[in-house]
Amino acid sequence: MTAVSRLLAAWLTPAMLLAVPAALATRAGDGLWLGLVLLLAPLIALGGRAGEGTAAPRDDRGSLFSVVALLITVGLLLWANIALAGDLAAWLGAPRWQGIVVTAVAGWGLTAWRPLRRTAPLLLAIALVAGAAPLLQVAWATGLGPLAAWERVAGQPAFRFPAASPWVTTGRPLAALHGRAPLVFEEVHRLTAPAGGVLRARTLDGTRLSEIEWTLAPGQSVALRAGDELERGTPVRLRFEADKRVPGAPASGAAWSQDGPRRWLDRLGVLITLLLGAVALLRAGLPVRLSRDRAGLLAGALFLAFAWAQLWTVYAVLQSPDLFLGGVTPERFLEVPGVALFAEPWRRTLQAFMLAAGLALFLASSVALRERLGALDRTGGGEIGRDRGLWAALFGAAALASLWPVDPWTLTLLALGGAGCALAPATIWAPPPGRAALGTTAGVVGLVVFATLAAAQLRGGGGAVLGAAVGYPALAGGPAGAVVLWLGRRRSE
Amino acid sequence: MRPVTPRSTGVVLLWLLLVGFLLLGALPNHTASIRLGGLPLLWWYGGVLAPLAGVLATVRWLAEPRGPRRDR
Repeated sequence: MTAVSRLLAAWLTPAMLLAVPAALATRAGDGLWLGLVLLLAPLIALGGRAGEGTAAPRDDRGSLFSVVALLITVGLLLWANIALAGDLAAWLGAPRWQGIVVTAVAGWGLTAWRPLRRTAPLLLAIALVAGAAPLLQVAWATGLGPLAAWERVAGQPAFRFPAASPWVTTGRPLAALHGRAPLVFEEVHRLTAPAGGVLRARTLDGTRLSEIEWTLAPGQSVALRAGDELERGTPVRLRFEADKRVPGAPASGAAWSQDGPRRWLDRLGVLITLLLGAVALLRAGLPVRLSRDRAGLLAGALFLAFAWAQLWTVYAVLQSPDLFLGGVTPERFLEVPGVALFAEPWRRTLQAFMLAAGLALFLASSVALRERLGALDRTGGGEIGRDRGLWAALFGAAALASLWPVDPWTLTLLALGGAGCALAPATIWAPPPGRAALGTTAGVVGLVVFATLAAAQLRGGGGAVLGAAVGYPALAGGPAGAVVLWLGRRRSE
Repeated sequence: MRPVTPRSTGVVLLWLLLVGFLLLGALPNHTASIRLGGLPLLWWYGGVLAPLAGVLATVRWLAEPRGPRRDR
């Protein structure tokens, strides 16, 4: 496996890549920032002074700490991506466990079977072709170039359900929605339950808020008014009305395209988390030297991934504005947009391409992460990367945890932030010779600060500044580790 | 004092590209929303120019210099 494909595959997991279109669709300015950071952070991390990447602690305890920290990171990344596969299966109408089992078994098989371990470059190539083909087809079928498509989206007076949307024709279970945006209606909207079921809503009667529950017979409808909010979580399948505003969508195309209220601390949090994560994931304990060709290949591939994310977002929003329903989530971007664009079986073929792209990217990431962990295990001679039992346990635990829906992007940020706080300070700023334990101490302190704030995040809370540190714990964990290193270096001078 | 190497020049340039995005977004009167050729300035910068400049900076400054050719 070449160095470039290993770096690319370890960095661009499906959960990571699909976070960009999800962010772009939610708020264009934030999505552009995320995409730009995703592209530049690994380049900045790898661009550190040559040789510093080899400065990982060389004592056994330090090495063990690095290996354990990276093992937890890899586990969290696998969890995020297998959970994404479960979300995708639920979104496409299959049982959640099917998506989880397929990805977990395939991922474990690929990492466990030795002859298949060098397939990552091939898998990346498959992901590229299988992801690009539907994009080109959608662009061709739409008949609009990227700029014209963007202008069309930005010129939308409102995002409305297309007549051919599955939410309008056959209906979909409300439980498939994992977004965080409230399902608040902005105009009168008639909902139909094709198979019946229980529906709950908070309705606004004048200024009085009341909760109502309907038990609908198959085919029965209920009308919600402007300001009413539908409760999620119920398994009832619902049909929405065509040409009505999508609940949770931006007010208009213009509102979507403008850079909304600037959240500086959030943007700083994303930058620091991804930057430290890139240092830990791609550089800690590894001598990374890129020739001009390899550097160009790596940067070019990252650029292509960002370009794909932008174009796919624009065409997806243009053709399927219903993806805004209840808040945008990443798995929706693995569905081919625009039901009316393609006839069967062509549509099913393109959908198979998208699924193949996602699976190939996940498998490439699994192999790369396993190799990455093995490369860090100096004392064990890389044994950890070949231990079938360990990887079976890791994939099994990730699959089991994925049965409950979680936000893949939150997990990815936790994984990268934790790894960054534990490993990045000592990688960027190597401890003096003979004091490798200082790097471990700094990593432990950084990790403890990170874990404390991450726990506070789970409980919810924090003000403006503290809220940013709670939302992005690496903002405090990384500097805490760096301060310990600085103090230790001063004492040894 | 550390010498300025091509790699550090490249890293500084990549940082400047990120800072440029934040500065562009901070300009008053929604300047970043002004459309040029149909696309807002922010999108031109964050989606096209800065990524391309990042690729070029990586190839030009971040790659390892070729070692001296060893003739037999």
